Amino acid sequence: MATRELMYREALREAIDEEMAANPTVFIIGEGIAERGGSYKVTEGLLAKYGPKRVRDTPIAEAGMIGVGVGAAIAGARPIVEILYVDFAMLGMDMIVNQAAKFRLMTGGDGRVPFIMRTQGGTGGGVAAQHSQSLEALFYHIPGLRVVMPSTPADAKGLLKYALRQEDPVMFLEHKHLYMTKGPVPDGEHVVPFGVGDIKREGSDVTVIAWSNMIPRTLEAAEALAAEGINVEVIDPRTLVPLDRDMIIRSVLKTRRCVIVQEANRRGGVASDIASIIQEECFYEMDAPVEIVAGMDIPVPFNLTLEKASVPQKEDVVAAVKRVLHLQSLAAAAE
Amino acid sequence: MAEAILVPQVGQDLTEAKIVELHVKLGDKVKKGDLVAVVESEKASFEVEAFSEGVVISLPWKVGDVATVLEPLMHVGSEGEVVAATATAAPAAQVAAPAAVPALVVAAPVGAAPVGASVVAEPVRVAEPVAAVAGGRRASPIARRVAFDHNLSVERIAGTGPKGAVVLRDVEGAIASAPAAGSLELRTLQSGQGTPVVFLHGFGADLSSWRPLVARVGLGSPMMALDLPGHGASQRHVAADFAALVDAVGRTLRGMHGGVHLVGHSLGAAVAAALTERGDLDVRSLTLISPAGLGASVDGDFVDGFLSAKSEGALQAWMRRLVSDPASLAPVLVRATLAARDEAGLVPAQARVARGVFEGSTQLFNVAAALRAYRGPCTVIAGRDDAIVPLREIEAAVPAHVALHRLDRVGHLPQVEAADLVQTLIARTVRSAG
Repeated sequence: MATRELMYREALREAIDEEMAANPTVFIIGEGIAERGGSYKVTEGLLAKYGPKRVRDTPIAEAGMIGVGVGAAIAGARPIVEILYVDFAMLGMDMIVNQAAKFRLMTGGDGRVPFIMRTQGGTGGGVAAQHSQSLEALFYHIPGLRVVMPSTPADAKGLLKYALRQEDPVMFLEHKHLYMTKGPVPDGEHVVPFGVGDIKREGSDVTVIAWSNMIPRTLEAAEALAAEGINVEVIDPRTLVPLDRDMIIRSVLKTRRCVIVQEANRRGGVASDIASIIQEECFYEMDAPVEIVAGMDIPVPFNLTLEKASVPQKEDVVAAVKRVLHLQSLAAAAE
Repeated sequence: MAEAILVPQVGQDLTEAKIVELHVKLGDKVKKGDLVAVVESEKASFEVEAFSEGVVISLPWKVGDVATVLEPLMHVGSEGEVVAATATAAPAAQVAAPAAVPALVVAAPVGAAPVGASVVAEPVRVAEPVAAVAGGRRASPIARRVAFDHNLSVERIAGTGPKGAVVLRDVEGAIASAPAAGSLELRTLQSGQGTPVVFLHGFGADLSSWRPLVARVGLGSPMMALDLPGHGASQRHVAADFAALVDAVGRTLRGMHGGVHLVGHSLGAAVAAALTERGDLDVRSLTLISPAGLGASVDGDFVDGFLSAKSEGALQAWMRRLVSDPASLAPVLVRATLAARDEAGLVPAQARVARGVFEGSTQLFNVAAALRAYRGPCTVIAGRDDAIVPLREIEAAVPAHVALHRLDRVGHLPQVEAADLVQTLIARTVRSAG
């Protein structure tokens, strides 16, 4: 299939543009998204094309924005609410957790909430503790929400188009480091369904599970390890809810060793939950305990050196892969 | 003459037993049948009885010691007698005792608190507590499974994982370096110099049945044994018929380029005789005890009854057929046989072997021609009261150049009922090969 090189933010814009053109109920609101085209330039040009009713700037009032979005979704529209930092979504948690996530069940399935919150998280460039969090575990924990974390331009476009066609509330979590990254995006209709993971790199020795910005970092680690003859399989669930358990289990049964990499701090994280699934399904086939490489259990530091030290780096992934291959003990025994 | 009462073999392949009760002390008089001690394994405890009258003249153990099975537990002799040549194993036992003790007291707190001081006891850190509690080697789940599938024990594989854990690559290495596929595990019962003597047990037994005998043969040669397919540690090896049994043993011994002396009992004796016909094994001498494969008959009722017995009483009733004097069948032998059956699948595995080599009361194999053709030193030992393999059929088939020793008041187990003579004859046969 023919592809074009697009930036992550351009791929997202294409998805919104195509779905707005196809479906008049799609609209987008957020801080600075209309006149300025968004802080990350995702919505550039959409105001001119679709007008101020469908591309609307809001005051700095996240609780109100999220409330508007959830209510509009219940009323039959398909709103996209852009929240500048995922950290700010905390202001709207009641609307997300108690309303959007519950409405379908509490109406016996009659009421649907196709509400999409687009936001971004993660560390990058020293924006400090209140602008650097990876909060997917909070949403992952709440039944009724979909949690989407694309790592490539193609996935970002395909998953956002799918989000705009399904009926449940979606936490669409982008990464501030990824907006400028480039990758091939298929021409024409490109839709990626939820719950279908992607093997980013095939390998046979160790499975590394990662998502969002940890995917490019893990792929770099895999390249470095390949130079040492270690063949790493990198898999990306793409959506944490629903989770492609089959892909994870198949891969781990093949390699018998697994490392999970998450930028979020370790405690109570998604990695721990995936590890529990793996031990349940693959225990008797495994040659080493599952390793989790995660952020430190601290607020992300402002200082750039400390910020870097607080989240997984390529070297951390390389070391963890060697641990599950028992290479350290082998080297120690050889001395 | 002083006789040793051995620490019983308390279970399949267990090498140690803990002494939990001692009912005698040095100098005590005992008579046959007296309960002298109780020893226990992980699975069960066993009473040890005296089998002759006399005085306890050596007793190197105390309650709580961990003793090596089939080593002397104590010696019984006449008053004033000193344990000497008969007790070759005793010094080894005494060396073993102190070595075993620290393992039991490793959890004791080190360093006493000052008298009168009020001290909150710190938890005592014991080296490797997890491994100690688990009682086994650390191994990854997949390493254990692959080892099991290949009939290997992770306990015998060197681990290269964290803290010595056995990981998959270790098991794969063990599989790759194992002798040719399908071979059995050859174990050294006693190390030594020169051409090895390999012992082949009979139907329903395993290599541990040779341990009491091997300790007393008095040869300096390496003494080795293996478990026949379907038996002991080779339980998972399947041999569909006699030829397959011979083939499995032959493959195992093929690497012994310096030759080998073979000692076999019953079915194992037939395997030993058949091995002389293989071109790839230099059999230097042959000692056949109550050999099967020379006539057509076998006691089919015994085979069926032995396999189907589930209680100690039933097993004892059948095993009495093995001996001429029922008193010579030590209860511990019956219990050890029963304990070995705790291993799930052992009886079905032995039944498969039985189906392949016996049909009712008929032996489906014959090694008389092999025996006629064999030109090395060969000794056949058989009991006149053998109820399992009739002596007259052995007599009819043994060629003139083979020495046949017919033992009075001995059944199918000459190595038990006439142990001294059997040891002498094995040593003489091996030595005569030069």
